[in-house]
Amino acid sequence: MSTSDPPVVLIVEDEPDVAETYKLWLQGEYEVRMAQNGDEGLELLDGTVDVVLLDRMMPGLSGDEVLTEIRERELGCRVAMVTAVEPDFDILEMGFDAYLSKPIRSKQLHETVTNLLERSAYDSMLQQYYALVEKQATLEATKSSAELAESEQYEALTEEIAEMKDGLSDTLGGIEDDDDFIATLRGLGTDEDE
Amino acid sequence: MYDLSSVLDFDALTEVRPGSSILVSGPAMTGKEQFVYDVLADGATDGDGAVVVTTSDKAADVVEQFHDRVPGLEGSQLGVVDCRGEGGADPELIDGVSVHQVSSPGDLTGIGIGITKALEGLHNSGRERGRLALISLSTMLTYTDKKTVFKFCHVLSSRLDAAGYIGVFTIDSSAHDQQTIQVIKQAFDGLIEIREADGGGREARVLGLANEPTDWQRI
Repeated sequence: MSTSDPPVVLIVEDEPDVAETYKLWLQGEYEVRMAQNGDEGLELLDGTVDVVLLDRMMPGLSGDEVLTEIRERELGCRVAMVTAVEPDFDILEMGFDAYLSKPIRSKQLHETVTNLLERSAYDSMLQQYYALVEKQATLEATKSSAELAESEQYEALTEEIAEMKDGLSDTLGGIEDDDDFIATLRGLGTDEDE
Repeated sequence: MYDLSSVLDFDALTEVRPGSSILVSGPAMTGKEQFVYDVLADGATDGDGAVVVTTSDKAADVVEQFHDRVPGLEGSQLGVVDCRGEGGADPELIDGVSVHQVSSPGDLTGIGIGITKALEGLHNSGRERGRLALISLSTMLTYTDKKTVFKFCHVLSSRLDAAGYIGVFTIDSSAHDQQTIQVIKQAFDGLIEIREADGGGREARVLGLANEPTDWQRI
């Protein structure tokens, strides 16, 4: 996700009216792409997609099958499942990042997309945080404490680490929520830059 | 506040802030595991909840240990997340304690789900305070790299912070290079180092929980 372009949301939904409604709600803030079924959805999926809204019950490939493929391709996108009924199973264990039950309201849709984007932001901050910590550890391992005390680079790094740590605790309410917790852990194994 | 000084007699451990995560580091056979079990058992005696995430000890042994150490332990006070990947029913009740199975010490999502369920169980039984132990990060580091373990520790620490729990995590300092320990410890609020003392016995020091690191002290 680059800073200048709006985030990309892919809607995979077989009912055109429903898909159009979602698009209407989202298009002011996001770049919206639409697919009418699972196969088309997989074709449109690439590294630029940030959030996928995936209808669970579709003719052809089901939402679950599309999800499996997304995870296998290790695309960094977040996936919200859209269901007709509230699921009676643990959505997180299935590998979805969130779910929405129909009928969906505009506010709810916006909140979910915002939360999923915030999780992605958290992931990349955590990635940067780790890079800084690793750099710091290398300096600490190679320089004496007297050298560290005089090193401007070390001082700047220490400051940057403290700032990044604060930033992380301000994002996602500092992982207050169980769904955020699990989804963030799931993201750890699939870094985009590896 | 959590008082750990009855387990390890340091002023720096008398008032540990809720939400703190502490790394317990030392070479093999210096009693790290015993120490973290003591921390949890001591809290459980006062009614705190306890969560044990284990990569080596059998869940049944963990439960037995707690029953032995904590007179009047209620089953709902303890949750065990067994990451040895031995299978078994999930969730399973052992002597009234719920045990959650995870496929391997490298299955971070599975560990997270197990912890979430254990925390939920404690919450539902009305426990507002609790202590979590993870034994050990060294095993996790053999299944996944230090970057992933670092991030996992950071995210778990944040979750414990939100819950107002404290966490104690063990690492075998003789099993990893200095740089790895240096990186991992950055994910924690505090560090307790244990080592063998000259002339036998053990000594410890506490870093990060008070303004200054403490001196080495015999334990």
